[in-house]
Amino acid sequence: MNLNPEFERQLILECSQARLIGAPVVLGAVFTFTYFLDDYRLGNITAQAALTLFMLITLLWGTRQSLDSIVEEYRDRTWDTQRLSALGPWQMAWGKLLGSTSMAWYCAGICLLVHALATDNPAALPLLFFYAIGTALLVQSAGLLLGLLAVQRGQLKTGSILILVVVGFIVFMPSLTDLTDTANYLPDNLQISSWYNLTVNAQTLHQISLICALFWCMMGNYRLLAQDLGLRNLPWAWLGFTLFLIVYLGGFIPSSSYSFSLAAFTVCSLLTYSGVLVERHEPMRVKRLLGYWLQANWRRVGEELPLSVLSFALSLPFAIFLSFQEQRFAWLDISLHAYPLAIALLVLRDCAIYLFFCYGKNPQRAFSLSLLSAALLYGILPGLFGAIGMTGVSALFFPLWAGSVFTALACSALQCALILHLLNTRWRQSV
Amino acid sequence: MITVDKLIFEYPGLRALDDVSFDIVQGSITALVGPNGAGKTTLLRCMAALDQPVSGAINIAGIDVLEQPRDCHRIIGYLSDFFGLYQRLTVRQCLHYVARAQGILEADCAAAIDDVSRRLHIQDRLENSPAELSRGLRQRVAIAQAIIHKPPVVLLDEPASGLDPEARHELAELFLDLQAQGMTLLVSSHILAELEAYCTDMLVLRQGRIVEQVAVKAPSLLKPFKLLLAKPVDNLLRLLQSLPEIKVLNSDYKQQALLQLDGDAAQQHRVLKALIALDLPVCEFAPVSSNLQDAYLQTIRQNS
Repeated sequence: MNLNPEFERQLILECSQARLIGAPVVLGAVFTFTYFLDDYRLGNITAQAALTLFMLITLLWGTRQSLDSIVEEYRDRTWDTQRLSALGPWQMAWGKLLGSTSMAWYCAGICLLVHALATDNPAALPLLFFYAIGTALLVQSAGLLLGLLAVQRGQLKTGSILILVVVGFIVFMPSLTDLTDTANYLPDNLQISSWYNLTVNAQTLHQISLICALFWCMMGNYRLLAQDLGLRNLPWAWLGFTLFLIVYLGGFIPSSSYSFSLAAFTVCSLLTYSGVLVERHEPMRVKRLLGYWLQANWRRVGEELPLSVLSFALSLPFAIFLSFQEQRFAWLDISLHAYPLAIALLVLRDCAIYLFFCYGKNPQRAFSLSLLSAALLYGILPGLFGAIGMTGVSALFFPLWAGSVFTALACSALQCALILHLLNTRWRQSV
Repeated sequence: MITVDKLIFEYPGLRALDDVSFDIVQGSITALVGPNGAGKTTLLRCMAALDQPVSGAINIAGIDVLEQPRDCHRIIGYLSDFFGLYQRLTVRQCLHYVARAQGILEADCAAAIDDVSRRLHIQDRLENSPAELSRGLRQRVAIAQAIIHKPPVVLLDEPASGLDPEARHELAELFLDLQAQGMTLLVSSHILAELEAYCTDMLVLRQGRIVEQVAVKAPSLLKPFKLLLAKPVDNLLRLLQSLPEIKVLNSDYKQQALLQLDGDAAQQHRVLKALIALDLPVCEFAPVSSNLQDAYLQTIRQNS
């Protein structure tokens, strides 16, 4: 049988005969213990224990495995062997994800089986299995995604990445814990939500959202692997993800062109930040990009274009549209104004500051230095000058303090011009 | 078979490959030599589509490497200087994985593993883990991984480093065997004496530039002959050029010259007779054994 070679390799590594025999023995001992606690029957304690073990196994162990499936390739210097193979990115993505977690799923399957035998509400099992398996796959897939992003930045220690996974586990745990209260999923207990003008039950929306999140996570894995395998791609996936988020999140806010544009602008700005944080920032990439630009090789320009640039460009039309709307509001009664174009320029400034540190001698400190800069520019310096009554100077650092849109724009543009000049100088020094 | 055109690769602040262009013919074994930091590994990695250059073009067997990197991977074998072996698998499992990952069908894998392990003399190590093997044996396993799918082009980065003389000799025999099967090999190495045993061409890379591409193993009948005289002769070059059957490759000294003959033993005899007839005090007239080290050092000196 011609199995996916990567899946087969992971199976060989994970599913040794000893482990296949040992795991049920250990789990059997645990469930024998809960059986005794349940007064010699498969009762509620056993069902709860099985579900808790399922969560621990799939969300912690499984995610650790999926994370290591890529990080270990770099650590053991075998990644080039894979890159030189004829495997495609999709084969590699699912081979790694399902292969590396195969033993975890074997144990998790036993737990689900025991839960199914012990539960007092078998009618809710299909829905429980859907949420449990879907959430576990999503977190494991996110683990692989984080691993791919980490190795691209040269980070081969999984400890700090695992902290993120633990945070994810804590975030997702409540929704899984709720599953134990299976009454919530009975048809007569449905909640109603509205999405745009549609009235949908919350449960269906939750299920669709889970499937969409899993899809985009796997798409992220696919694109990152494709990038590492040297396949050239235009950023359609990122563009699609941006549009999806705008449409999806836009459905939850009051339906008007202003609120939709506001949602779109927020999504694009947040994705600009995300893009600049997760992408590799090699000075030579910018040089290649400029070379293609000068050659008018637009396809290559599209392929080399940083994703954050795309998101930022998408945010501009919404910023301009919002700027011409009448709706204005002050935030938290502290005289902050919403000047969309000025906010867009601040996003540009923040990204430029991060890149400035990335092109420096210690790019690994770029994030912490950027946070420090943000604290100074958004809080400490404006607050300092505001406290002594120099609000004009405060606006120079944080333009949303300015009384007029033109002053805000002028201050933002000045900051952008300064940091872009510094960034350009540093980039030229580094190439 | 391989064409590299105006290849430029840069690291921040350093141009590692500077306008590199060369051609390699099918069936040759080309030595890629140069001092440390000359750009040999970078060049091989670009050719294997593992690193992306700033500009230039690489074509291997009609495939544009920079445009179709995955197609390129199907037709090349690449041995990196750190082998890239899975320590938690056995040698057989490593070879099986690579064979499957290179598109060999499950049914054909056993035959491919048998074939490549026999050629590399690792049949009795198939059930060992690479971690249990000596460096030389791991080297062979890595080469087996690189050639298991019978690629027409094999790129090898420092394949003989750390090998004992016997293993190097076996490696040379293997490369000649691969060449006989029609494969084209590009081998980077510091050990010129080892390359000499099997290389047909030499590419000299220095500070990111190709400074020389020479054939080091011409067909035997075109081998250069060294002429050494017992005493200097002032008009040596003119006298030699008057002989129609020879081509003067080099006559830097009045006492020595490098000649090329394109005939057989009978012609060699006629040329020697003609040299004696010119009253030249010949004390040595013999084929020059091609010496890669001499050629390399001569090239480096000329270009420094």
